[in-house]
Order: sequence, then structure tokens, then C-alpha cells
Amino acid sequence: MAIEFKKSLAVFTEFVSVEEAETLLEWLLKNPKGKINLADCTHIHASSLQVLMAFKPTIVHEPQDADLAIWLKAALAS
Amino acid sequence: MKHILVIDDAATVRLYHRGILENAGYSVDEAINGIEALEKALVKPYDLFIVDVNMPKLDGYGFLKEFRRQDDALQSPAIMVTTEASGSDKQLGYMSGANLYITKPIKPNELVNYARLLLGETL
Amino acid sequence: MNSLLEQFLSEARDFLQGIGEKLMQLESDPTSNELMVELFRFVHTLKGNSGLFDFPEMTRVLHASEDLMDAVRNGRVNYSQKLADQLLDAMDFVGMLMDEIEATEKISNKHAAPAAELTKALRNLLTASEAGSESSEIDDILNEITQTQVAENSIDWESLPTLNLPEDIAEQLHAHSLRGDSVFWVEYTPEADSFFKGEDPFYLIRQVPDTEWRNVVLNSTVENLAEMDVFNSVASYQVLTHAPAEELEDLFRYIPDEHRRIEIPALAFVKPSGNTDEHAVDEDFIANVFALFDKDETEEVTRTINTMLELSAPDLWSSSALRWVLRLIEREPENKAAQRALLESLRTLQSPDWSELKPVEVIATIAPPVRNAVVSTSNGSNGVVDEKMQYFNEVINAQREILNLSGFNEGRLKSVGASLIGCYKSIGRSQDVDSLELAIKNSLVENSQDLLLKWLDHSLENAPELVVAEKIAAPVNNLAMQNDVKFGRRAEDAAGRKADEPNAVTASKTLKVDQEKIDRLMNLIGEMVVAKNALPYLAARAETVFGVRDLSREIKAQYAVINRVAEEMQDTIMQVRMLPVSFIFQRFPRMVRDISRKLGKEVDLVLEGESTEADKNIIEALSDPLIHIVRNSLDHGLEQPDVRIAAGKNGTGKLLIRASQESDRVLIEIIDDGKGINPEVIKHKAYEKGLIDEATMERISDQDAVNLVFAAGFSTADVISDLSGRGVGMDVVRSAVEKVNGTVGIESEVGKGTRLYLSLPLSMAVTNVMIIQSNKQIFGVPMDMVVETVRVPRVHIQSIKQKQTTVLRGRIVPLLPLNDLLASNMPQLPNENDEFATLIVRVHGEHVGILVDDFRETVDIILKPMTGILGGLGGYSGAALLGDGSVLMVLNPRELM
Repeated sequence: MAIEFKKSLAVFTEFVSVEEAETLLEWLLKNPKGKINLADCTHIHASSLQVLMAFKPTIVHEPQDADLAIWLKAALAS
Repeated sequence: MKHILVIDDAATVRLYHRGILENAGYSVDEAINGIEALEKALVKPYDLFIVDVNMPKLDGYGFLKEFRRQDDALQSPAIMVTTEASGSDKQLGYMSGANLYITKPIKPNELVNYARLLLGETL
Repeated sequence: MNSLLEQFLSEARDFLQGIGEKLMQLESDPTSNELMVELFRFVHTLKGNSGLFDFPEMTRVLHASEDLMDAVRNGRVNYSQKLADQLLDAMDFVGMLMDEIEATEKISNKHAAPAAELTKALRNLLTASEAGSESSEIDDILNEITQTQVAENSIDWESLPTLNLPEDIAEQLHAHSLRGDSVFWVEYTPEADSFFKGEDPFYLIRQVPDTEWRNVVLNSTVENLAEMDVFNSVASYQVLTHAPAEELEDLFRYIPDEHRRIEIPALAFVKPSGNTDEHAVDEDFIANVFALFDKDETEEVTRTINTMLELSAPDLWSSSALRWVLRLIEREPENKAAQRALLESLRTLQSPDWSELKPVEVIATIAPPVRNAVVSTSNGSNGVVDEKMQYFNEVINAQREILNLSGFNEGRLKSVGASLIGCYKSIGRSQDVDSLELAIKNSLVENSQDLLLKWLDHSLENAPELVVAEKIAAPVNNLAMQNDVKFGRRAEDAAGRKADEPNAVTASKTLKVDQEKIDRLMNLIGEMVVAKNALPYLAARAETVFGVRDLSREIKAQYAVINRVAEEMQDTIMQVRMLPVSFIFQRFPRMVRDISRKLGKEVDLVLEGESTEADKNIIEALSDPLIHIVRNSLDHGLEQPDVRIAAGKNGTGKLLIRASQESDRVLIEIIDDGKGINPEVIKHKAYEKGLIDEATMERISDQDAVNLVFAAGFSTADVISDLSGRGVGMDVVRSAVEKVNGTVGIESEVGKGTRLYLSLPLSMAVTNVMIIQSNKQIFGVPMDMVVETVRVPRVHIQSIKQKQTTVLRGRIVPLLPLNDLLASNMPQLPNENDEFATLIVRVHGEHVGILVDDFRETVDIILKPMTGILGGLGGYSGAALLGDGSVLMVLNPRELM
């Protein structure tokens, strides 16, 4: 799994695939204040990206991947 | 029947050209580089040459230059078919003795039309 | 799979292999220019080949590799380990695509993104080393194209998306646009079910190169988060990029409907932004600047604005507008109208409406290339005429360009002359050819191409109908037409074979093996077959000599196993050697066309059963006889069209060449509907040539008479043509076919046609022979000649005209003692019941009995032709080694009689 779910923190690593979207959704429903650590994430499948956009959770660490960081800023800004 | 010599180091391209030209009713011989082309063209008169540019041993320019120097050879038209697209190459092609300079990949009907035209046959 | 694609894959694998090897060699010799040149050529040729097919992913990666190698070759980029790794990656990718093509004949769209990534990586290596100065030729060309489109098209400002960009990004894009890089706004709205198709729209949009600005929005607000469907794509992605249009085209080539691409004109980026609550600049300042501006005191304008900027907060809208004014002055000094409009906006704090400014500039939503457009083949319509003239013009213009080259070159001039003559003839202006030829001649005499050039110009001036202004319209994509082009049939055959083995599709790869190795393998298996045959002897000896019966039985059991494996091995190797008859058949269409034209005959050639296979040696041995037969049919069989029509037949003759398999033999029939063979004519010819005597001529049956065409020195041609009948006749065909244990026969009906058939073994490597004993020696007789073995009681043998015969199933069979045939005086030995062992063999369709002393077992042997002094010995087809080490001479009954 590319997402490690802790109590109130989800740590994304490397390539988050389409399979993880559903789990992410459930986790965010259970933990509406859950935070996301994206430091080591390189890509998020569009499905999970949409979930993040819908919930707009707090991002505790931006991705080190510069391109992904810019995308996420745009995605979560509006 | 008109005889065409297809000169290309790539067997796939030779097969492609051969298929198109034979289907159009021409007799086709092949050469895999300029040297082999010269050997063939100097013993058998061809009505048309389809010449690739980049080939080992002797390239298309070299072949045409040498062939056009042959006094007693039948100086038939040559179509240079190449992937290089810049103007200077075309110039060099014409200088060497090509009569037409076309960029690959050439479509079957194009090749046939050019051949028919250069061979004096109705399109 | 057509043979062209098959050839492509096979050759491409060779190139990939070669590229890999060269890269390895370069590692130990990284400065070798020779290696680099060769490496370039491999990549270049491979790219050229891939361009013949519609595999854009492959071509794109190869193109980038080629550009990179070109740079390396020319010393613009240094060879490095990293570069080699990148190239190897690219080649691995290409190899993977080829596997997929081999299995499915296409490339799935999932490779588009990785291909783009690889391309980018390769291009990065190129630009990194070249300090970003030179972009590839293609990009230049593309930029040119887009710029032309910019100039030609008008901007539809209303269709432009509303851009609210941070000033720094807008400023950069503005600069790009002015530099000539088209800036595109790309919006990608994937279909709702795109996740189910295995797509990742976010991944795809991230592959857009040279992205300066990104945005993603949800198209519908998610009202109830708990009911959100994560597998529904609901987002829209937008980017601004200055990537070449081609790359964008490629990236989105499978989803043309799901994305929009709009080229953004430079001015669209000029949009001040910031805080509008405060007016930083007053009317005095604005009036002052306008005054300077109108006097064209640009430096003063700049200085004044800079002063104002220093005094104002940078986040004000007016500050942003002033910065833009400065940029426009710097970047578009001539565009006063824009500068003025921007200054004007300081009064309203509203961005200028650029659509009112200028009579339009841009907008190029480049339509996706038309794929599989219908090839225009209208019959004699204007379209065709125009097209013809366009081709004519293109070729004529090329000749003119050549004639304008400096320096006289005789060969070149001659070739131009030939080209011009061709062109004029082709469009039906033969009336011009005489004067053209004269001009060529004069040019050659005077060593000047000017004369020919003048003729050409004169000709075109006086015939405006010959000049077509426009260039040839982009030829429609007709790769589909390739499928109609008939290439050799082997590929289809191969595909057909594969279909039988479901797993073979992906697993099978073509392996090129030296023929020598196959032959060696064949010899080895032959020896193995022989060696294995020693085991039954051993078993017999164990029992009879050593009296160990159990051992004998065990040896026999082992023999059974070895025998089975050996047979399977033999079969497999045979398969390797099998070639389809299309190998020979594919020559016929052309040959028949050539010959029939020469003879003024019309022939409709039909080939059947091209996929029938036989051993390579058989196929090769078949080639010459078959060509001879086909020539004969065309020459002597089929009549001239007028003769045919007079005889009430279709003017076009029919020639059918059919191959089929009958148990372990290949049957090849050549059937024509020509005039047939007249037995009377044959009889008289044969008599005249002394091949038969008068008595024979009287009683010979029609069929036997027709068979006389196979007699040595028989030629039926009334006139010896240069096609067939050069003194060699069907007897040559017969002996060639018999050499490989084949038979040939003919049936003919006068006026209706002729059917010639060849029957050949599928394989000639292993021969099944029956061992017979005669005069205390053993001999082999090929089983395929043996019809049956019988024991004929002495009392049933009659002498007719001093020849021994017997009646077998109501048929008189001549009997020939083998000892007589071998010129030995010994009488044949009967068995204890006074019966003679008789081998009934078929010779030229006749049954003949050969009396021998006894029959023995049948064995498989590898027949080796006799060489040296023995080679001249008639009556034997060869010799073979037996399991016990002894040599078996194999008789050829045909030659014996």
C-alpha cells in the first residue's frame, strides 16, 4: 500500500494507485480532521486526487516532487 | 515490362517498395547499398531507381554521383527517398543526380504515381 | 500478419540487437567514431522502418533516439553512461512494443504516456548538452507551421478561456509566445468511466511537457461526501504549455474528444492583476506619461514609470499595469496601440479589451490529423486530373530546380531528360516529346543545360494548362491500402500455423539459424535413427548368441522408448526445414504476367494451397521443373485470345497452380484450359523422332501417347521459342522430379486443357526402405515404390515373347528377376514351396514384378547419394549405413529397367 493510515495522519508514499481511492475515502469519512503527509509521494491517481479535492484535508507536508506540489496547490486552492 | 532498382539497406523498406511496385506491374530488383546498386545498375539497364540516402559502404548520394558519371549507362530517373528533411540534403540529392527528392514514408499511391509519371505511363 | 509487418519485426529485432551490441562496444571504446556512426545508422534505419506503419509511440521514441545519436555522432553531445542507459531503456521499450505488435498487430494506448516520457528524457539529454540552444529540426518545423497558422488565422477572442494568472507566470508565457513558441491552453475533461479503462487522467496531464501553469477543478460539487463515487472521473484539468503542438497531439491522440487545445496569443497574457482598492496613480501622472508617449520619448516614459513604481506598493493593480507597459515597450516596441491601451487602462483599472485593439491575430486549434480518410479514386473526375497535374508539376519543378544547379553534368542532364520525357508522355503530351528530345540532344552537344531549361520554360509558358499553382494536397493517409498490396504469402501462412497453437502467439519469436546448423542437426538425427536401429540387432544377439532372453526383452523395451523420442525429434527437425510452397509460387504472378505479355496472351493465374509445406530440399528441387511446366503451359497450352474466342472459349486463359497434401506427399497440379495435347500429333512426332516404332504407334493408347511427352528428347513446339523448347523438354522435368523421389503425370483433353501433376514426398531426409535379399546380398528398395509383395508360385509364371509374366488380380504383370537386372547369371532362388518372392513396384505408372530371393524387414535409413566412381553407377539411388554397421545399397528400380 502506498498510503499508510495512522490515527489522524495518512502518509502517502511514491505512487498512489487507483485501488487506494476507496480506502482513502473511508478513512477521511471516519477522520474528517485527518491530515495528509505527501512528502514522499510522487504521484496520486486521479481517483484519489478527486477525493482530496472533495475533502480538502490539511496537508502537513507538501510533496518533494515539485510538479506534483504545484498541482496539489492548484487542486486544493479553490 | 519496366525494371526498377530499389536501393535501401533496410529489408523492410525494400519489401515495402517492392510490394507496391510489383503490385503496380513493375519488375523490381533490390540492392542493399550503393556498391551493390552500382554493380547491378552497370550490367542491367534499369528504367527507374528508388534510392535511400543513408546506407553503409556507399550512400545514396555516392551511388548517384558515381552512376551519373557512367557514359554508357542508361541514365534513368532516380527518386531519392529519405527521412532527412532539410533543404540542404535535397540540394545535395539533386546535385548528385536525383530527379525527385521525397521524404519517407512514402505512401503507396504516391510512389506508384511518381513512378508512372517518370516512366511515361498514364497515371 | 502481412509479410511486410513480419519482415519489419524480424529486421527490427536484428537492429535492436545490433544497437545493444554497439552500445556495449562503445562502453569499452567510447570515442570510436565508427561505432557511433553505425549506431546512428541502426537507429535511423529502424526509425525509418517504423514510419511505414502507424506506430506513433515507437516512431516517436526512435525519432528522439535518432536525434540524440545524430548529436552524438556529430560531437554536439558527449557519449556517456547515462546516455547509453537512456538509449537502452528506449530500445527495451521499443522491443516491448514489438512484442505487443507481434501478438496483437497494434500498440495499445497505454503506452502513449511512457513513450512521451521516454521521448522527453531523450530530448532532455539532447538539450541539456546543447545548452538548450538548438531544438530538434522537427520542432523548428512545427513551430514554423504553427506560426504560419497564427498569421493566417484570426483570433476569436471570445473563445479564449478566461485566464487569471499570477503575473510572473503570465509574464513568462508572454515572453514565450513572442519568441515564437506557441503557447497552448489545454483543457482535458476525461470521460466519467475513464478509470475503468485503466486510465489515469492526472498522470496523462502531468505528462504534458513545458507546463507553466496548472489547474484542476471538480466539475460537480460533491454534496454528500459519504456517497462520493471514487471510480467516477469528475475533474477537469487545465494547463498552459509552450510544448510543440506535435507532442501535445501525440499525447492526446487517443482522446481527441476529451480535450480542447487553444493557442493563446501573446496579448492575452497581458492582463494586469492586483489590488484595485487604491488608486496609486493620478490623472496628472497619466497625462504626463501620455504626453511623453505621444512624442515617442520612450526613454522618458520608461524613466517616469519606474519612478512611479518605486513610489507605489507592488501589489496594486496599477503597479501591475505599469510593469506590463514596461514589458511591452521592451518586448513589442512597435506595438504602440497595445502600449497605449494599457496606459489607458490605468484610468479605468480594467484590463484592455484586446479584441478591439487589432484586427485579430491568432487562434489555431489544430484539428487532429485525419486518419483513414477515404482514398479518392473517383473515376476520371476532375479530382483525378488535378491530382495528376499536381504530380506532374511537382516532378517538373524538381527538374527545373536541377537544371538551375550550377555545373554541367552529362549524366544528370540525361536523367532530367528522361524524367521530362516520362512526364510529358505520362500526361498525354507526346507531341512535345520530339522537340524535347531535340533540346536534350542540343544541350548535350553544347554541354549546357540552359537549352533544356529554356525549352522547359517555353513549354510551360505556352501551355498554361500544365501549370497548377497549388502544391499537392496532403496525400490522404492510406496506410490501410497497404493491406491491399499483395505481398508474399508466407507471412499469412505463418500466421495460420500459429493459430493452431494458441500459446505460440506471444511466445514464438523468429530465430535465424544458419542452414548449415540445421543440416548438421539433420545429419545427426539421421545417425541417431541408424544407431537406434542397432538395438533390435543387439536384442536378437542377446537372445540367439548369448541366450539371455530377459535382456533381449529389456533392450527391446528401451528401443521402443528411444524409437519414439527419435521419431519425435526427427519430426521436429523436419518441421524446421519445412517451407510453404508459396516460396516458389510467389514468383509466378510476375513470371506469368511477363511471359503472357510477351506472347500476347491473356492469362488469369490462380494459385491455391500456397500454405502447403514440404521439406526445403523438395521445395527447392521443385522450383525449376515447376517454372518449366508453367512456361510450357503458357507457351504451348494456352492459345492466343483470338484463337480461344474462335473456339468458343473465354479470351482470357486460365492457369491454375494448386498444391495440396496427400498423406505424406505433396501434390502439385498445373491445370490450364488451353488447347490440350493431341495424342495423334504426339504419336507422329514420337514416331518421326524414332522414339516408338510403327507397331507401337498403331496400338498405343491415347493416354500412353500423351505420356510420351516425358520421353527423352521429345519436344512438341512447332516453333522453338525462347521461352521453352530450347531442346529440353518434359523429360528434364521428369528426371528432376524423380531425383527427389517424386513422380509426374499428365492428363489432357484436346480443346479442353491439360492437367499436369507432380507428387513429391514431404521430406526426403529419411527413407523407409524394404530390405530384400538376392544372390546372397541384401539391397534396399524404397517403400514408396513398392506396391505390394507377393510370392508367385513357379507354375503361375508364363513366358510371353520370352518375357516372364504372371497374372495378378486379372492383370498381366511382367516379371523381372533382380539378378538379371543386375547382370548376374544366377537364377533367383524360390522358397521351399517353390514360390518366388516378388516385389511389385510401380514404375512410370506401370506395375512390374521384381523377382528376388527373399524379403527382409523394412527400415528407416538416411539415404546418401553415391559419390565418386560409384556416382556414375546407374540403378542405385544411394547407399545407407545400417544399424549393424553394414552398408546397404538402395536400388532405383526405375533406372534398373
